[in-house]
Amino acid sequence: MNCPRLKDWLDERYDWDAIKKLAKSKLVPEHRYDLWYYTGGITFFLFIIQFVSGMLMALYYVPHVDFAHKSIIEIVTKLNMGWFFRSLHHWGAQLAIAFLFIHLFGTLLLKSYRKPREFVWVTGFVLLGISIFFGLSGYLLLWDERAFAATRVATGGAGAFPFIGWFIKAFLRGSMDVTGDTLLRFYAFHVAILPIITLGLIGLHVLLVQYHGMSVPLTLEKEKLRQAPFFPNVFYKDLMIWLAVMGILVTFTVLMPPEIGVKADPLAPPPENIKPEWYFLFLLQTLKLFPGEILGLNGETIAILLVACAILFFFLIPFFDRKSSRGEKSPLFTWIGVIYLLYFLTMTVVGFLS
Amino acid sequence: MKLNYSLITRRTFLNTLFGGWLVAFCSGTFYALMKFAFPTLGKEPDFVVLNKKDFTGLASNSIKRFPWGGTVGLYYTKADGSVIALKGVCSHMECNVDYKPAEKRFYCACHQGWFDENGKNVAGPPPKPLEIFVISEEGEKLIIAKKGVKVELPKA
Repeated sequence: MNCPRLKDWLDERYDWDAIKKLAKSKLVPEHRYDLWYYTGGITFFLFIIQFVSGMLMALYYVPHVDFAHKSIIEIVTKLNMGWFFRSLHHWGAQLAIAFLFIHLFGTLLLKSYRKPREFVWVTGFVLLGISIFFGLSGYLLLWDERAFAATRVATGGAGAFPFIGWFIKAFLRGSMDVTGDTLLRFYAFHVAILPIITLGLIGLHVLLVQYHGMSVPLTLEKEKLRQAPFFPNVFYKDLMIWLAVMGILVTFTVLMPPEIGVKADPLAPPPENIKPEWYFLFLLQTLKLFPGEILGLNGETIAILLVACAILFFFLIPFFDRKSSRGEKSPLFTWIGVIYLLYFLTMTVVGFLS
Repeated sequence: MKLNYSLITRRTFLNTLFGGWLVAFCSGTFYALMKFAFPTLGKEPDFVVLNKKDFTGLASNSIKRFPWGGTVGLYYTKADGSVIALKGVCSHMECNVDYKPAEKRFYCACHQGWFDENGKNVAGPPPKPLEIFVISEEGEKLIIAKKGVKVELPKA
């Protein structure tokens, strides 16, 4: 493409060459762990897919307790490609969460969170929390039996939190119980509040990564590494990987469209062997470990508190890991990372099989 | 006592004043936003009034559900024919419980909790028994109330 007049027009207004130079100056180190650099990009790509497919479905979805379930059935059965986009949104969400976890544990085990990148970790962690809330709120929009029970459990679980639990629970539900108010509220979270926060945080996260440059694992920091220019080398690799992910995503989308259960009925018991989304299974299994009462205290509250503490510790790892922030090896935190990863994987698998 | 020098500079004073104003403004705004976003909560009912004829002649060892506010109540006819009413919401994570006639127990599918005939938690994670209601009758009406609540029906 060569349009000299357009180029001149832009040149008179913007310092085009400086922008090009800036783009060229971005370098990405090459080493044996550099595959991990692509996990963030994949997640970003999946988020774009979620935004686009979500916008499409928002054109037809009706966020009302009487019509929500029916409107989804109509999206899937009556609209052109409706089945495809609903399935795409479902599988896009699954893959996005999966890659978020891969990205998270990659960052954790390579200790890319260490000084000076603590805030990259913080923004990423908040984005993970938001994504899980995206999953939960999006799930209720189906308004089927499973979604209804899952929301009762999740919001009720938040209610077991001492002191502020009742506040969180009422705020999330919009009423005493999971009702049409909750559906509308979750809809607002899902399509308005969370997306705008997500956009801001992704912007900040990516900006911080540009500011700090790519993190190099501790073991390779002393070595002289080859640097590849981001434009076009790494960018093209990114695109190729995104294409492969798109292929996997569309395969799932076409071959395994998600079901929709019976419309939620506040009077009916949940279906037998009900299970939450896979990324909640480890929580469910953890809750199951605790008896109803421990030394006269509510076992549920203790379980929720312990889980909250474990998540808080995880969140603060960059601030606890003094050794790696000094550039020294930090095997203790590698072990902590491995333990978290193993716990998450084991409990997810156990939850899946039981 | 007269001080010969000022304890704070004019700059500190103004910064504190403006900073304080900013904090007050932002917290006021935030409070107003949250006040609107926080729902005006309904209340769990003290009692519900049902039609007696819907609940007569039920098979023994079975339940019939009735709406209890936004959740569910169970009208339970035991195997021996006696009846109790209980709240059909698990005391663990608030899922609706189901009745298993074969085992004569209540079951919560969400986390495999079990309650016996009298709503007592017997297995699984539930920390407390199911809430038992008081059943009373008034003419054609069946009144199911929370324990210790005085039922006052509006005069028709």
